Amino acid sequence: MEINLNRVDYLQVAVADQDGVITCFGMKKGEPVPVFKSLPGPKISRLELGGALGTPKEKIFVAAGSEVRGFTKKGKQFLTFEANLAESIKAMYVSGADLFVCASYIYNHYCDCKDQDYYLSGDKICDIVCLPMTKLGQTTPVLACQDRVLRVLQGSELVYDIEVPGPPAVLEINNAKEGEIEDELLYGTTDGKLGLVQVTDTSPVYKWEVTNQKKRGGILCIDRFDITGDGVKEILVGRDDGTVEIYSLDSTNEPVIRFEHVLSESVTSIQGGCVGKDAFDEVLTATYTGWVTGLTSEPQQKEAGPGEEMKMSPETQNKIVALRTELEQLQVKVLQEREKYQQSAQSSTAISSVPVFSVNDKFTLCRDDASYSLTLEVQTAIDNVLLQSDVPIDLLDVDKNSAVVSFSGCDSEPNGNFLLATYRCQANTTRLELKVRSIEGQYGILQAYITPRLQPKTCQVRQHQIKPLSLHQRTHASEEHRPMNTLTLTGQFSFAEIHSWVVFCLPEVPEKTPAGDDVTFYFQNTFLDTQLQCTYSKGEGIFKSDNISTISILKDVLSKEATKRKINLNISYDVNEESVNHTLKLIHPKLEYQLILAKKVQLIDALKELQVHEGNVDFLIPEYRSILEEADHLLEEYKKQPAHLERLYGMITDLFIDKFKFKGTNVKTKVPLLLEVLDNYDSDSLIAFFDSA
Amino acid sequence: MLVPVFTLKLNHKINPHMVTVGKYDGMHPCLTAATQAGKVFIHNPHTRGQRLSSSRITQSTQDSDISLLNINQAVSCLASGVFNPSHEHHSLLVGTQTDLLAYDVHNNSDVFYREVADGANAIVLGQLGGISPPLAIIGGNCALQGFDHEGNDLFWTVTGDNVRSLCLCDFTGDGNNELLVGSEDYDIRVFKEDEMMAEMTETETVTSLCHMHGSRFGYALANGTVGVYDRTARYWRIKSKNQAMSIHAFDLNSDGVCELITGWSNGKIDARSDRTGEVIFKDNFTSSVAGVVEGDYRMDGQIQLICTSVEGEVRGYLPASKEMKGNLMDASVEQDLIRELSNRKQNLLLELRNYQENSKAGTGSKKKEKEGQMGVIPANTQLQTALSVNAGSENQKPSVDLTISTSNDTIIRAVLIFAEGIFEGESHVVHPSAQKLSGCIRVPIIPPKDVPVDLHIKAFVGGKSSTQFHVFELTRQLPRFSMYALCTQGSAPKPRGKATFSINDRLQRVVMWLNQNFLLPEDIEVPDVCFTSLRGAGQLCIKIEQSGEITVNTDDMDLAGDVIQSLSSFLAIEDLSVDADFPDYFEEVRNTLVQVDEYHSVHQRLTAEMADHSNLIRNMLVQAEDARLMGDMKTMKKRYIELFDLNRDLVNGYKIRSNNHAELLNCLRAVNQAIQRAGRLQGGQKSCIDKALV
Repeated sequence: MEINLNRVDYLQVAVADQDGVITCFGMKKGEPVPVFKSLPGPKISRLELGGALGTPKEKIFVAAGSEVRGFTKKGKQFLTFEANLAESIKAMYVSGADLFVCASYIYNHYCDCKDQDYYLSGDKICDIVCLPMTKLGQTTPVLACQDRVLRVLQGSELVYDIEVPGPPAVLEINNAKEGEIEDELLYGTTDGKLGLVQVTDTSPVYKWEVTNQKKRGGILCIDRFDITGDGVKEILVGRDDGTVEIYSLDSTNEPVIRFEHVLSESVTSIQGGCVGKDAFDEVLTATYTGWVTGLTSEPQQKEAGPGEEMKMSPETQNKIVALRTELEQLQVKVLQEREKYQQSAQSSTAISSVPVFSVNDKFTLCRDDASYSLTLEVQTAIDNVLLQSDVPIDLLDVDKNSAVVSFSGCDSEPNGNFLLATYRCQANTTRLELKVRSIEGQYGILQAYITPRLQPKTCQVRQHQIKPLSLHQRTHASEEHRPMNTLTLTGQFSFAEIHSWVVFCLPEVPEKTPAGDDVTFYFQNTFLDTQLQCTYSKGEGIFKSDNISTISILKDVLSKEATKRKINLNISYDVNEESVNHTLKLIHPKLEYQLILAKKVQLIDALKELQVHEGNVDFLIPEYRSILEEADHLLEEYKKQPAHLERLYGMITDLFIDKFKFKGTNVKTKVPLLLEVLDNYDSDSLIAFFDSA
Repeated sequence: MLVPVFTLKLNHKINPHMVTVGKYDGMHPCLTAATQAGKVFIHNPHTRGQRLSSSRITQSTQDSDISLLNINQAVSCLASGVFNPSHEHHSLLVGTQTDLLAYDVHNNSDVFYREVADGANAIVLGQLGGISPPLAIIGGNCALQGFDHEGNDLFWTVTGDNVRSLCLCDFTGDGNNELLVGSEDYDIRVFKEDEMMAEMTETETVTSLCHMHGSRFGYALANGTVGVYDRTARYWRIKSKNQAMSIHAFDLNSDGVCELITGWSNGKIDARSDRTGEVIFKDNFTSSVAGVVEGDYRMDGQIQLICTSVEGEVRGYLPASKEMKGNLMDASVEQDLIRELSNRKQNLLLELRNYQENSKAGTGSKKKEKEGQMGVIPANTQLQTALSVNAGSENQKPSVDLTISTSNDTIIRAVLIFAEGIFEGESHVVHPSAQKLSGCIRVPIIPPKDVPVDLHIKAFVGGKSSTQFHVFELTRQLPRFSMYALCTQGSAPKPRGKATFSINDRLQRVVMWLNQNFLLPEDIEVPDVCFTSLRGAGQLCIKIEQSGEITVNTDDMDLAGDVIQSLSSFLAIEDLSVDADFPDYFEEVRNTLVQVDEYHSVHQRLTAEMADHSNLIRNMLVQAEDARLMGDMKTMKKRYIELFDLNRDLVNGYKIRSNNHAELLNCLRAVNQAIQRAGRLQGGQKSCIDKALV
């Protein structure tokens, strides 16, 4: 069965979370009527509903700064609780009299506002939920942490880690049917994956995972609601590229996508419910700019008879008239203020300061094509964006993005710019998505200057680090039995110092120095699948990788950083000759695939011409016939990975140079020879060339 | 929501821009398009199984509705329509880089076949001016040629650069069609027969032109711009990151006025109102659009809009019925209205908040530390801009310098300049490194052409450690002749080329023109000035006598033309006769003409050689085969080796021939441009071209 849902826009809540105003609204005769509005205050980071166990959840809890406030459904404030955290609250969960709050790294549990438990997490906490384990008589909190694990706690102790495939952003209890034991968790990751895991006493049981094949945005919110009315709750998912999805489970309990709708802004919250009209369920979403939108199951009839004006329901007409008058009043007010502002330009003592507008930005590595995607979102329409980078990077075209891009010539000598590009946005663009391809070993800062269409015009700069090993991603463990090169650092440095260097070199490492005396992180190169293992403590650091280029980059960057701080480093390395061939073998299937693909794609046009000429393809050898049959698929595949072959060539060249750098010879002059070998690629001859040179 | 009334998959690729619909038997419309390998396909679903096969046309074996026409050369343009006024059936016109073929599909015969040295980049078929038979007008290498159905050359003129698009339109409203020509030098020129009437300068190569109604026409540029002109005034334009592949005028919402239908390189089709450019309908193909045409393809008396993609997908749309009330998109009007109003409200609220917070900050209630971040600047900060000519030095190219500075100790973080036609893209950015931040930025600009340009400047002003900056927006105009620096006379010998003419206007007006169109350090009063071109094209001297006689001295005939055109339009002179003498340039043209002759003779010699060779080949092949049959392997081998050598010679000969041809084309282009330049030397509207030069 297909689900048909229609879009209904309810209202735009003026920048609710930014101003710290809670708006509660109800529906009366199809019109949203505000029930209450709280006073503005600090930015609200979380809102949860709670109530005594066993009663309907009708109390509203909000977290703002380090304070938690509680409101009744009428808007009366009944609770103010200062959590005494140094940082502001990032995540919160309310269950009966229990309150669970998380700052960046700290978890705290309060019962009746009394401190109960405490836990310090190894990486940033993104979300928290609690599984009501009734048989134990105690709830089990689960933290979603940036380092790709869900941490299951009991009291102040960590019970075990659940490894998930991406940095989890949101957790939701999987209560598919009423009355079932709630021990399953739905998680959504920032790279767009959705999964279900069962939490038992000692270990996790993985149920299923939906990968992000269509390259949608990261998941920001999940809810379970029975929109089809079949007694089983569907999974509602909201993503940061504005996609709303509904999944239901098939007979084998595997999720199937049932409905998809794309809004223009990131979906910050999603709920199922019955809002607009009785008896019609709908999916309610809130977006970044404050729109509350419903996707209702109510059929919308359109009335437009011949020779008539478009019929508008009287309610909407009233609404429009009301909006119009409101707008006019506002306009007058704004005009006055604008004049005042301009007059102030005459005075020599007045200052002009425009408040900082909020920018929602994300810079993430996409595993599939080993490139970074930068998304920028502002609450009003963006006028233009200037991108500046002091490292060579490539900007890739994104289909979704309609802005007109223009590259400006870089006089790289005096100002150190390697990329200057402007994006002039079309009207009503609040969200911009860009793709950037970086080169490992070249590091620096990518800056985005965002100018929204808002008077007085201001622009905000956002900086994003491009790290030396930018294509690496955290993993949970490394594969054994690979030939490893080792880089060992010793010297007079503290644990915090070496940690800061690792943070500087690698993405996805928590900024806070980990607890304990030593720490080990595992990474994987998203492009080549080579590994890196970093183990370090005070005075010593050991880095192991099967890719010699990775070691070479680390060596250069670390020694540079240490010199900056005037710390004497003893660097020793142990190069495993086998590792180079091992890496080449890792590259081989990718390279071969790309070469064959390129060759096939080259042939498509010529073969099609033959087909037109001869009328049929019977005379062709089967290989060519299959190329023709798969032509569309091949072209699509080829388009997906622009410059893939060039990147592989670049990495092989680096590998070649680095191999001999460790031997102390400079082989830059032999690079043209290497490229020649690559042009007539054959795995054995390449390995032979590496060995012989 | 408007949906296609028919969709076809043709299984043939379609070359962009080369699609047309012709009624070759006078009744049944056939979609005709150029495809790969120098072929043209004709899709005729109406008269199935009645077609003949002959040398030129072959039936496609894949699809019985499609016949293929072999051109054996890459097709560069395609048109169809009534050519012979005494018949009602349409003819097909196919242009390539070297020739033009007029073909009668119905009778399966050539109407005529003409070699055209300048190539055919664009073609249009129709009535031009007072010439009564329909003309097939082709635009090539700076030249325009028109043929009637007998192949007579009835129309010939030249234009400034390679022609990329053509369209017929009643520009003047006198009942006769004028010819609109879009070319690679970014100009749209209007020809009333062979007389140029108007010239509009755009910002990129003009790739498509289409007539809307009356004197209104649409245009598309290579940089993704699409717009509508009414005569010389531009109504609207929009720019997309994609390229417009094809534009067409069609009344899709049945309101009696044609909309501009655009097919984009990303497969999008949109229909825009001719007045405002507002999108009233859009649809998507999976691959780039190849062409947009119209025709009664279902033979039911209704004209459909037919859109084709490069992969051979065809969709036909019927104009919307009255009931749809012009609402072709799948959205409810009230929802959109409410959304738009809400957005506006939100915007105003945010602006209001900005002012409120600003006045709060003014009273000093804000914390000090936040100020650095917010980029607080004194309210009386002003941005000053100045344009000056920089003659350049050894390690710096000469340029026009735009200096932007703040009035106090605030710094400029970055400057964005949006301007068209003078930068690589549409913008230029100056972003000094963090160490070199200051309140003053110098931007060197090197405009490649002498055109006035509006510079839209956005400067980010704030403090050194700010993360938020104030954006100052202002617009400066770069005068037309900004790349000329004032210099003292006598420092260099005067240029030999000169143009003299006299005007009846006051001297002050000319001085005013000088002050407005050149970048002068200070206003001048004496109308006797000398400039040095920063592009290294020597000197330009303009001298005005009390009698009103003006002498322009320069060796660059183009520049002289520009100066005269600009001055005459400033003074609103209708007709201006000019005495011109450019000895150096004329010498050059003479040389070019000599070269053209040489290339022609080389061409002929090479052709003769090739003919000789082919005779030899025939002989050798016969000999070799004879030897093989006789069993004399030794002789056979020898013959085949000789054949191989000959083949190599032929390939080499071909290379020389194609180089020669390229050179020849360049020379012809230079000659065409020379004629065009000479034409421009005459002021005012009227410019008659001296054909006698060639």
